[in-house]
Amino acid sequence: MLSTKERLNAEVTVRTKALVSAKPILSKRRVDSLLTVAVTAIIAVTALFLLFPVVVTVLMAFDARDYIGPFPPTELSTRWFGKLLEDTYIWAGFKTSLLLAAATTAAAAAIGALAALAISWMSPRWRDFVTTMFLSPLVLPGVIIGFGLLMFFAAFNQVPVFLKLFAGHLIITLPFTIRMTLVGLAGISQTLREAALSLGANERQVFFTITLPLAKNGIAAGAIFAFATSMDDVAVSLFMSDFQTYTLPLALTTLIKSSFDLTIAAAAVALMGLTIVLLIVLDRVLGLERAMGHGTNRIR
Amino acid sequence: MKSARYKLLLLLPAVAVFVLFLVFPILIVLNESFHTFEPGRIGSVEGGPLTLANYAELFQPVYGQYFAQTYVLAICSSAVSIVFAFPIAYCIARAEFAWMQKASISAIVGLMFLSSLVRVYALELTFGSTGVLAPLMSIMDINTNSRLYINFVILAGLLQYCIPMSILILIGAIKNLNPRLTEAALSLGAPALAAHLTVTIPLSIRGIVSAFLVSMTLGVSAFVIPLILGRGRILFISNLIYSRFSEIANYPSGAAISIVMMVLALLLILVMSRLATSLERA
Repeated sequence: MLSTKERLNAEVTVRTKALVSAKPILSKRRVDSLLTVAVTAIIAVTALFLLFPVVVTVLMAFDARDYIGPFPPTELSTRWFGKLLEDTYIWAGFKTSLLLAAATTAAAAAIGALAALAISWMSPRWRDFVTTMFLSPLVLPGVIIGFGLLMFFAAFNQVPVFLKLFAGHLIITLPFTIRMTLVGLAGISQTLREAALSLGANERQVFFTITLPLAKNGIAAGAIFAFATSMDDVAVSLFMSDFQTYTLPLALTTLIKSSFDLTIAAAAVALMGLTIVLLIVLDRVLGLERAMGHGTNRIR
Repeated sequence: MKSARYKLLLLLPAVAVFVLFLVFPILIVLNESFHTFEPGRIGSVEGGPLTLANYAELFQPVYGQYFAQTYVLAICSSAVSIVFAFPIAYCIARAEFAWMQKASISAIVGLMFLSSLVRVYALELTFGSTGVLAPLMSIMDINTNSRLYINFVILAGLLQYCIPMSILILIGAIKNLNPRLTEAALSLGAPALAAHLTVTIPLSIRGIVSAFLVSMTLGVSAFVIPLILGRGRILFISNLIYSRFSEIANYPSGAAISIVMMVLALLLILVMSRLATSLERA
């Protein structure tokens, strides 16, 4: 370890000396201040690009006008939220989505936690292999999973739509619950377990009094990822749903494609609220930084 | 200690879900892709002869266009997001105050968790042909209905995902890096830009490659973004597969496209991880 560091240090010295000895075209200070300006500009442009659409949506949701007029709105009102409350199409989708996300989250958290526990007891080589297999749905395009499931269910007679949606959502959320539980389990020091064992606890007692309570946060974080993924999926659900049973994202997709009604903006603002709640919970149970270090590949 | 049987019992539910809802469906797709399609029928003819025609068909230039469309935009968005994400990630990773770091990471995670439909709708509302920036576009003489413009809006849609994700991945990579190395270069008199180009960036190459890979994977499998922002005029491979199912019910063709898409996606991951390893050794 130390030798690599020294090697790197030596390399840095050589490279910088070569750079410094080259004849400067611009003075060093000039170049440095230019870089600072460039980086500040990049940060500003990116922040504007990422946040401006969100701000537009929030403001337009409170627009008092009947049509999408020039921005910003001249008068504000909550009429679109009133319309949102009366919109049976969106509400039906929301109910299905909520029920589906709750069922999926519960099942994925339980199945994922069990699997992660088994994986954590494996030898390192098996552990890596099995983990990679279980995380594979993250890199598979959702459309392929949806298309495959559609043909799979076509082999059976009349499978209820909700069950089909449940199966699709289970397969795309399980990677998150497995991974986050593994993260939670990895944070548990082996000495705690050994201490309990040496003090006379049996395996079962160690599991219920040491392992499970400490892994709880990882499982909860996985459940939040699962819930958010389920509430957000379009690619898989599209193949599973019909005109009677559809999820909120599907309802919104249809509405965005067919109308310019600002009720959608109101729905978007409501969903932003839900996102904030999920984030606060995630921060409480695991800490955002730790959770994101291991959950960044939200592919869909 | 723990018996092997006990372990297997715990794995069983997850394995069952994966075999039933992932392995079987993909095998069915694979099987379907070798069958012939009869117009007017849903799905292929059972027991018919096996054929490679569905794959051969994909060599027609029309299909090349869809694949090119998808890959070019995915590569653009990945490259652009690395260029923008790296300096931001560096500033956050090396932020002076802990609260600044926490606040920026929370904001970025918030953007990542935001429903994809909210983001796509927000972009449509902002950049769409009737969006709030439409008057500005017409002043600048930009045709919001041109193919080029729609391509740009889809690129913007991909960037909305790729930039926050790349920032988070790169923060991790930069934090793992010893800050003294860059400081050493600076104290030896290198200009900041040169120090970063020759020290910081080469040392965080693994993070850069993995951010690029995740952005690419996301870009090539994007579905909702082109579905809505493409306005039916620009389709990604995912959308093509969906239209094979929803519009003409040509399952064998959709299945063949799916298999090709899947193989390409897995190939990409293989190549990129090889690249990361070889770059790190160099």
